[in-house]
Amino acid sequence: MRGHGWKWLLCTPALIVLVLAASGPLLIVAVYSFLSPGNMGGVVWEFSLEAWFRVFFRRDIFEPDQVAWNTAHLQVFWRSIWLSLQTTFICAFLGFPTAWFIATRPRHTRTIWLFLITIPFWTNLLIRTFAIQEMIRNNGTINAVLIWTGVIDSPIQMMFSEFAVLLGMAYVFLPLMVLPLYAAMEKMDFSLVEAGYDLYASRLNVLWHIILPQVKPGFIAGSILVFIPAIGAYVTPRILGGGRTMMLGNLIALQFGQGRNWPLGAALALLMLVMVVGALIFYLRVVGRSDGVRRG
Amino acid sequence: MSQEIEITGLNKSFGQGAAAFHALSAIDLTIATGEFFTLLGPSGCGKTTLLRIIAGFEEPSTGALRINGKEVTGLGPDKRPINTVFQSYALFPHMSVAQNIGFGLKMLRKPKSEIKATVAEMLQLVRMEAMADRLPSEISGGQQQRVALARALAPRPRVLLLDEPLSALDLKLRKEMQSELKRLQTETGITFVFVTHDQEEALTMSDRIAVMSAGEILQLGPPQEIYNAPVNRFVADFIGDTNFLSLRVKAIKAGEAVLELPGGKQASARLPASISPSVGSRVTAVIRPEQAEPTPAGQGEMQAIVESATFFGTDTHLHLLLDDAQGFVLRRQNRPDQPSPAPGTNLGLTFAPGALRVLED
Repeated sequence: MRGHGWKWLLCTPALIVLVLAASGPLLIVAVYSFLSPGNMGGVVWEFSLEAWFRVFFRRDIFEPDQVAWNTAHLQVFWRSIWLSLQTTFICAFLGFPTAWFIATRPRHTRTIWLFLITIPFWTNLLIRTFAIQEMIRNNGTINAVLIWTGVIDSPIQMMFSEFAVLLGMAYVFLPLMVLPLYAAMEKMDFSLVEAGYDLYASRLNVLWHIILPQVKPGFIAGSILVFIPAIGAYVTPRILGGGRTMMLGNLIALQFGQGRNWPLGAALALLMLVMVVGALIFYLRVVGRSDGVRRG
Repeated sequence: MSQEIEITGLNKSFGQGAAAFHALSAIDLTIATGEFFTLLGPSGCGKTTLLRIIAGFEEPSTGALRINGKEVTGLGPDKRPINTVFQSYALFPHMSVAQNIGFGLKMLRKPKSEIKATVAEMLQLVRMEAMADRLPSEISGGQQQRVALARALAPRPRVLLLDEPLSALDLKLRKEMQSELKRLQTETGITFVFVTHDQEEALTMSDRIAVMSAGEILQLGPPQEIYNAPVNRFVADFIGDTNFLSLRVKAIKAGEAVLELPGGKQASARLPASISPSVGSRVTAVIRPEQAEPTPAGQGEMQAIVESATFFGTDTHLHLLLDDAQGFVLRRQNRPDQPSPAPGTNLGLTFAPGALRVLED
């Protein structure tokens, strides 16, 4: 056992980046959430629990002692969780056949398909989101084609709805589901599928009893990769959802911007962190419990 | 005995047109119920493709395949009363040993009590009772092999296909599993179709062997026949060790050729129907290393000088040089009272009538 003492020093560059870029700002946010808001934004160095209180409750403007649940905030929390769950589900549903298709191509063509999957990442998120807007707005491409072919008389309202946000997020996050699923499938022993058929399993049974348990680690990784950025999404709900489908990311941004309530924004951001970590732990406990993952 | 598997005029090619690869050509084969049948050949000879066609993983390009009298081409593997033991075992890694064995019965929607009883019976059959709740990753290679066998036997298939199931095991374990397989086959009475490239494995276990090469069946018969009367040079070379001699034909009479041995003596050998050499031409003749015997120098059919000797435990292989400089290997059983001759020793060789055979090239 010689020379092991100094090896952790190799981690120091990464540790410095982590401390400066992650832990430091997080600490600042945590401290800000216990301060009072400044009139023109920023914080006043005065301890206060008001921000945490206002995350969940609100006071009557005229009677400050009358307290009610802050239903607007609760609605945003719920909508963020619900839309992110749906996005994760849609990505899994669309990503599974896509990843399967790629994993079953001849080895030399798989790279091309993977390359195609990553193409959307080359374009700025804003531009891609505006492109979706161009497709689904009232006098956008889809409505124009439908009206021109006579399928409908007046445009279908698709913009500024939860549907628009879901569409945008599913599109943006789909590759994050496909890639880990593909990685799991590529490692899979396809003779297991043959063994399943050989033992009288139907296609559905092979999928359910053999393929899904094998690619579960991919589903878990993909779900985490989609759910976490989805719950904090900002650009997509802002552009496609408008004011009516505000999500957590937008609410937080609002507090640091027009709302001029940095402590409230900081408290909301920390709450989101807690929610994500809580969801992760719950998810890994429930889904990751079986043998496939434990033995990885 | 009734016919379990009947294959007629079966062809299989992969790819199209000029690039097509003919994996199997004109296979005709019947396998009897309860038979231990072996497909033997070097890798790439088409034996695994034939097995996969019987299992239903591949469809033949042309030809018919009947199982128990019923045409099965077009039926998927889940619709055939056949189970496979895969070369890689293909045990489901997320299921316990017992769950693996019960999977086929579960898919056949057998009642829970029946599944439980059969799984227990299978565990006992392959002597794995103590491992029922382990995962495949928690048992050894030999044990995985037994579980794969039990899993394939549990649904009581009419035919069990085994794709080189012993190739991943070490020598001692392989010998053990060979007798185990033979025991299981006798006990269950199920037809076994066994694929291997190991000629010794094929000879010790099979009722009949089909020797394959380049997509064709070269010879089909019981092990003794394949070993003692190979139809051509390939089969003789692939099964066991053989001395090939190039000999001149002195005369031909009634299906026999009189051949000139190195040193000038003559011997007769039966001619296969497929060849008719002219007098004076050379033919290929074979003698198995254990079917020739040493004699004192000057006696016997041929004269030779010992070049080297290789000790194999039960016997010694003497590498000899015949009079006309052709090589010859003689297998001599080791006995404490008869030391093997030293290199440089002159000796004679004799062989029983019938040991010398003429072969098609």
